[in-house]
Formats: sequence, structure tokens, C-alpha cells
Amino acid sequence: MTSLAQKLPGAQALRERSQNWFNSRIRRTDSQLLTQRNVYILPTGAGLMFAATVLVLLLASINYQLNLGYVLSFLLAGAGLVSMHLTHNTLRGLTLILKPVAPAFAGQAAPLEVVVSGSATARHGIGLKLADAAHDSLVWIDVPDGGQTLAHLSFTPALRGRHEVPTLTAETRFPLGLFRAWTVWRPASTQWVYPAPESDAPALPPAQPAPGGAVGVSRSRSGEDMEGVRAYQRGDPLKWVVWKKAAKSMDAGGELVVRDTSAVTQQRLTLDWHACGGLPAEARLSRLTAWCLAAHRLGVDWGLSLPGVELAPGAGENQRRAALEALALWA
Amino acid sequence: MGVSIASPASWNLRRLGLAPEGALPREARDTLFLLGVIAWTLMPHLTHLPVWTALLSAAVLLWRGRLALRGAKLPGRWTLAAVLVIALGLTLWSFRGLLGKEPGVTMIVVLMALKTLELRARRDAIVVFFLGFFVVLTNFLFSQSLLVALAMLGSVWGLLTALVLAHMPAGYPSLRQAGWLSGRTALLGVPVMVLLFLFFPRLGPLWGVPQDGQAKTGLSNSMRMGSVAEVAQNDEVALRVRFDGKPPAPGSLYFRGPVLSRFDGAEWLPSDSRRSARVPANLRVGGEVLAYEMTLEPQRLTQLPLLEAAPQAPTIEGMRVDRAPALQWVAERPVTERLRFRAQAYVTFLHGPTEPYPALAEDLALPPERNPRALAWAAQLRASPEGAAADAEGLSELLLRNIRAGGFSYTLAPGTYGIDAVDEFWLDRKEGFCEHFAAAYVVLMRAMGVPARVVTGYQGADPAPVDGFFVVRQSAAHAWAEYWQAGAGWVRADPTVAVAPDRIDRSRNLQPAPGLVGGALRNVSPELLALMRNGWEALNNRWNQWVLSYSQGKQQDLLKKLGLPSSGWEDVLMVLVGALSTLALAGAAWAWWDRRRVDPWVRQGQRVRRALQSLGLKAEPTDGPRALAERLQARFGERAKTLVDLLETWERQRYGRDALTQPDGRWLREWLAQTALLGVAERAQSAAK
Repeated sequence: MTSLAQKLPGAQALRERSQNWFNSRIRRTDSQLLTQRNVYILPTGAGLMFAATVLVLLLASINYQLNLGYVLSFLLAGAGLVSMHLTHNTLRGLTLILKPVAPAFAGQAAPLEVVVSGSATARHGIGLKLADAAHDSLVWIDVPDGGQTLAHLSFTPALRGRHEVPTLTAETRFPLGLFRAWTVWRPASTQWVYPAPESDAPALPPAQPAPGGAVGVSRSRSGEDMEGVRAYQRGDPLKWVVWKKAAKSMDAGGELVVRDTSAVTQQRLTLDWHACGGLPAEARLSRLTAWCLAAHRLGVDWGLSLPGVELAPGAGENQRRAALEALALWA
Repeated sequence: MGVSIASPASWNLRRLGLAPEGALPREARDTLFLLGVIAWTLMPHLTHLPVWTALLSAAVLLWRGRLALRGAKLPGRWTLAAVLVIALGLTLWSFRGLLGKEPGVTMIVVLMALKTLELRARRDAIVVFFLGFFVVLTNFLFSQSLLVALAMLGSVWGLLTALVLAHMPAGYPSLRQAGWLSGRTALLGVPVMVLLFLFFPRLGPLWGVPQDGQAKTGLSNSMRMGSVAEVAQNDEVALRVRFDGKPPAPGSLYFRGPVLSRFDGAEWLPSDSRRSARVPANLRVGGEVLAYEMTLEPQRLTQLPLLEAAPQAPTIEGMRVDRAPALQWVAERPVTERLRFRAQAYVTFLHGPTEPYPALAEDLALPPERNPRALAWAAQLRASPEGAAADAEGLSELLLRNIRAGGFSYTLAPGTYGIDAVDEFWLDRKEGFCEHFAAAYVVLMRAMGVPARVVTGYQGADPAPVDGFFVVRQSAAHAWAEYWQAGAGWVRADPTVAVAPDRIDRSRNLQPAPGLVGGALRNVSPELLALMRNGWEALNNRWNQWVLSYSQGKQQDLLKKLGLPSSGWEDVLMVLVGALSTLALAGAAWAWWDRRRVDPWVRQGQRVRRALQSLGLKAEPTDGPRALAERLQARFGERAKTLVDLLETWERQRYGRDALTQPDGRWLREWLAQTALLGVAERAQSAAK
């Protein structure tokens, strides 16, 4: 089947389309109860080989008139048949719950956590993966009786934006590997995928003086203000001391002054689309993302300016999120 | 763990390697277990395969075990190919060919061992498992005894356990757990197995079975001095008989096997069938008919050793049995399976034409220039007044009298005889067992002009019946003689009776020395030995009767007992299909019923959330009771006090120190009632606004 599909591009497309059509019929939900309706089962290659083996054993038993050979063939046939039910039963009755999904950066591995629970009896050999991932990326878990297990999946989103969490599958071949039971699960959650931050991005652009000093001056101390310096406080490193100004200030009867690291906030740091030179759009977004992260680390107030999007300066987690989301959605 | 979650692959490996303190790594443990199971499965073959096979397999398995322990790399394909070529060469050298049972089994055993060196991927493991099931079957080709069955049951269990282990990739499941899981799978399959075993139509062989199909020692189609001694050492069961009425005296139990007429000076062979084909049986019987049931172990021959003399062929399903001219009963093919059938016999009988017939010439022929002294002795006897006056019966009596009075002795170890064996035996050494006496008797009778021939078969049975069955062992193999007399036909004469009446009358087979354990046991308590032996025989007999000789006939009997009309295998097949369909329907019905089977706590959680959702609150499966309580409080404040308390109770019931094993139904009813109340109040309030 697959080899045929690989040979004929048309067949491949058809397969994908039918797969998509099939998947689109599945209701999106963040907690999926596995029942008769959504657990599928088919024999595996090993299962077919097992059937052939049992058949050959039976033929040999008939020909050599071995009653014990009959017993062996039928014992294996019975176990195989039972294993079909056990395989299906391994998934049936379980509940898959997706934990709240953390935002991720495009091109970087993002964790997905799935809680598998809700079985009165222990379940073994359950593998979870993204529906379109390779077989060897399966994450194997056991579920203890009456308990639950956390499965750590990971996937690498390629494109920025706000995406639906990719379709997941859970499968099992337990106990004998003759059958494969699987379920297809489309979580309802969406995930923020921020643009990939540029690696080795250039330094932050210089801040510009805040016009009128009105906007964004939040942390400056009123009173003994001088341009970019403040009074020495206990614990300030000595190298922060601005000796020239300190001399002047002390001459005027004032105190020792140090460089005010929050002084930048009195200037306006705007991460601007147009400051990125002649880069293509996605590269600009990557650089802006890297800058956002750098600015956030500095703890300064910063704003973001994209064509059609203006983000007022600010700081903190909310600012970071707002900026990254704006970058993710920019079109 | 923070931001950097390990990729699934490495996480997986990490879990795989997670062995308890001091234990082997998972992969090494699983491989060693599989190697142990394979060694156990191959072990019964050691007795009937060449020594090099055992040595090679053991070496390969040990090597593989060492590699597993050290976690070392597996050898390359060229090494494997080289070992395989060597094994192929050794097989050719041992058997002068690759076709047939022994060479085939040897190759399977070698392949099985070598394949363990190629356990790279999952597919290789699957091949090993399935090859293992084949090896189990090949063991049954050599023996289907209870012991082998038990040993192989262990093998199948082990193989299934290894298969289950291969499909439990997470964690470090114990062998005990995997063994229980595989055992449960097999046990659940037992009803299917029993149904299939009882009702799968039994057919004859589909194609020709190689002649060496069952390499059991037994009677052979020829006799050389010494060859019966080999059989006599063999304590295996040859057949069992159960008589309907009173069992006859052991001395009259002659089971007729191959009849040997042609003598070339060294070897006795069956009659040339072309010449004697048309001789009528002309069986004349006397006394009462003796009806019996016989269970015959697989034989190398086509002759059925029936009790003398059988008036008609026994009916055996799927096998035609014809009478051969010398009154043997011959099946159309070698008996390769255990047969169970009913037959009749008359202990008193005469048979064969009463008038001379052409084929008698064969029973008079003697090889020229052999045994001159014995022939001269016979001529002298014939010329004596006694001999000249005697008829065939009288001459036979003269010979038997000579045996009784001539200083002959019966021994199982007479040593080897030269070319003129009869001369040497009859005139010089006078030591031998049944075949020496029978052969010498026939040669001397022929020398005196009386047609005579050797008859082989079994004589006597174990003195005490087991479960009503008299056991006849290979050690009861016997050779006696028949002479032809005008007016009477063929008459049995057993020269061995003349020298060792014990051998016949009490059927005390000459036993070889018991083994070390048997000897010790015999010294301590002969009764216990006999008791143990009898108990074991009884168990074995049950096994034979109920499992190994289950056949088409028994299948038909079973259907009749069940009140089902049956005329052939089609009916049996119908019953099987019906039973399996019923079973499948039952399975489907169970699955349908079971689809509602959800963990009760999960079901309760669903209902709790649904009630909250009807109040307009967000409630996700991931939200715990506390989160829900907070949300209630935020939305309804003091009015939700009862519900918040209920959620606290719920949390205690589920996760508290005295957590319940099952959800409390009363609690759920209370919860539903309270949420409904709050909902009503809420709607009334909004309506009032």
C-alpha cells in the first residue's frame, strides 16, 4: 500500500486528502475518553506472520498426525484471538487530557504534556506521538491501576502564529504485538508559536530620549534628578559611581552619585521594524523577537513598532507576551 | 525540569535503562531470558540429534549471553554466514543429505541458535519467537509424551512472556509480571483452544509422510542374529490392550508382526510377495471369540501387531487394513500416529491351505553351503527310526525335545555368532534368545523337508493391568516359528518355550539392569518402585487416551453424545464454525457492554463538571476540586458555601487519608441537588432583575 502510494504522487495526495477528511470529522476536545467509537484496531505485520506460522504448524500437525501439534496450534490461535481483545482493551476506557499548552518558538522543540488516566486496571505499553511523526518518536508509558501517568511529548512547530495543537495519536501493541490499536485525538487547545528568535542578533538599537519625558518614565526618582544619575544608595557597586558628576554634586553639597541603570527608561526604547535594515519580513520578525527577549531580560521599558501595529512601551511579562503575540500574528 | 524537556527518544532510552539497584539492564535481562527459553526448547533435541548440533547451539547461545551481559556489539553478517555454512556442511556430513526429518530438524535448531546472534531489530525478535514455536513442534515429531508436553508448555509460556516483554517498552517490568500477563493471555485463549481441538475436523495426512516419519524402535521387517536383542532392551510401551471379558492367559498372547520366510544365510526377510500373493488365509478357529481394544504406539512398519488370530480387519478410520497371505494385517501406510481401535481374536486356530501349494517352496529353501554341520545333524535325525516315522508335528516335537534336554540356555547376551551361526548355536555354544532358537528351529525343520518360517511380533504383557489396560513393551518383542503340515496348514511352534518356559508363561520379560536411581529405589522398596511406575503408567495412559488418541472417531462420538447428527467432517466443521461464531458474538457483546466502562471516579468527575457548566462556570477535566471551589466562590460568594463544602468533602473522599475506593453515590446526589437549587435561585434572581 505505502509503496504504491509512494510511487504514485496522485495516490499519495489522495491518501493525504482522505486522511485529512477523516481527521476533520473528529471533534476537537482537550479531554478524550477512549471508547469503542474512537479506538481502531488492525493486525500488524507480525500478526499476519503469526497467523501464517500457526497455519504452517497446523498443516504440519495434520500431516504428521500430531495431536500435540494441534494443541500447540490451537493454543497459539486462542492466545492470538484473546490478544486482539486485550490490545483493544488496553486503550479503551482511558482518558487523555492535555495540560495547558505553553507558548513556543518556531523551530524549537515545544513540550506537550498529556495526562493518561482513568483505568481501574493497569495498562501497559501505550505509546503517544504526533499523528504525522515517525514511529520511533513514540513516547511509551504504563498506567498503574487507578492512577495516572504524565506523558511528555515534544514537537517542533515550523511556522509562527496561533495554531491548533497538532493531532496526536495513542497506540498500543500490548500484549503480543499481533494487533495495533490506535486512536486519533485532536486537542481543542491552541498554541502560540512565536517567531524563531534570531541567533546572534545584533545589539539592541540605541534608545531615544523620551519626548517631554512624560511617557514611560515610571521608575525615575523625582527630586534630586540629574540626567541619568541618581543618588548613591548602599549596595551600589563602586564602578557605577560617576566620578565627574559626583565631584560636581559633592561640590554643590550633594551626595555621591551613580549611573542610574533605569535611566534608559527615561529614554524610549522602541524596537522598530524599520531599524532592521533591508532584511526580508520573516528575518525582521526573528530579529525583533530576539530584541524583545533581550529587552525583557534587561528589564527596561520598551515598545514595539511594526507596520500596522504599535505597542506602547512597557515592561514585564505582559509586555513580553503582548509583543511576542503581535510578532506571531503579524501579517 | 524547567524549559529543557528531553526529546522523546532520549527520554524513552532513559526509562529503558532504568533498572533497580544491582539488577541487569533491561535489554540484557530480556535477552538472557529469551536465550534461556530457547535453550530449554532445544534441550529435548539433544538426545536424537548429532552431538555437534548440541555443542554448536550451546556455544552460540553462551556467546550471545556473554555479548548481552557486556552490552557488546553483535557479530557481523559474514561471521554468521560462515557459521551457517559450517553447520550446513556438518549436516550434509552427518545425514548425507538435507531432506528428511532429522536433517531438517537439525537445520531448524541451528538456525534458531544462530538467529539469536542477529537480534538487532524488533523484526528479528519476532522471527526468533516464531522460529521458537516451530522448534516446539519439531519436539513433538520425536515424542508426544506427557513430560515433553509439560516441558514444551513451559517453552510456549516462556516465548509468550518474551513476546509480552517486547511490547512493554516502558519501565522495568518484572519477569513475574510479564509471565502473569502472558499466562493470562494464554489462559483466556483456552476455551478457543479446547473448542478447536474438539471440533476441528481431523483429516488424514495431506501429502506423503517420509518413511522415517516416526523413528521409533520396534519390530523390523528383517531379522539378523542380534537385532531382536536391541529391541528387547527397550522398555518403551509398544501397545496396550483392554479385553472386554476375562483376559486370556499371558502365555497365549501372541501379537503377530512381520513373517519372515526368505533366508539368505545371514538375514531373514519377508516372503517375496509376488509368489505368495494368492495364498488363501483359510483360517479355522476354535473356542470363544476374544474382543479387545488396542492402543498402538507409532510403528515403523505397515503391519499391525494384532492378537493371533484376527478373523477380520479392525476398522480404523482413515486407514485401510488388508490381510497379507501370511495372516498379518497390513495397513496401507506406515503407522505414524498412535492408533486406537477395536479388534477380535481367536486364541485357538489353524490357518493356510491344507494341501501343498507352490509358494511353499520359499519356506523350504535353504542357502547352499551354509550351516553344513546343522544340516548333517538334521539329516541324521530324519534318517533315525524315530525321525523317519514322524510327520511334521513329530519332527517339531523331536527338535523341541532336543532343546529341552540338549543343554541349551536362554540369555539376552549370547555374544556374536559367525557365518555358520546355526551350526555354532545348535551344536557348540547352545546359548541364545528367542531369535536364535526360532531361526535354528526353522533351518533344521527345512533341512528335514518340512516347510517352516519365522514369525516376529510381541509375546505376553506386563502382568498387572493399568486402568484395565495390559501394557506390552518393546521388550516383549519375540520371535517364534510356524511349520506347515499337510491336512492342518500352518501350526505355531515356539522353541523358546522349550528352553525358558518362564519367558512365555509368566511373561516375565528379561529386564536390563535398572538405572542408578531405579536400582537404589529397588533396593530400598520394590513396592514403591512398582507403585510409582504403575501410577506414572496410568497417568500416561490417560494422557494417551484423552489427548493423543483423540481422533475422527472420538470426534463423532462426542457429537453423538451432544445429540448432534453427524455424518462427516463437514458436520464437525459446522459445529466448530457455530461455536466460534457464538464465542465471537459473546466477545463483541462484552466489548459493547464494556464501552461504557469508565473509571467510576472519572464518570463522577464528568457529572460534577457538567453540573458546574450548567451554572455557567468554566470546568475543565484538569481542574481539581480546589480550583472549582475557588471559581464558585468568586462567582456566587456566600451563596455557594454548601457547594464549596461539598467539593471539600469530595476531595477528601478522593484523595484524603481515608480515601474511598469507589465514589460515593449519595454525595453525587447531594451535589446534583444543591447545584440544581443554586441554578434555580440564580435564574429567579436574574428574572427578578
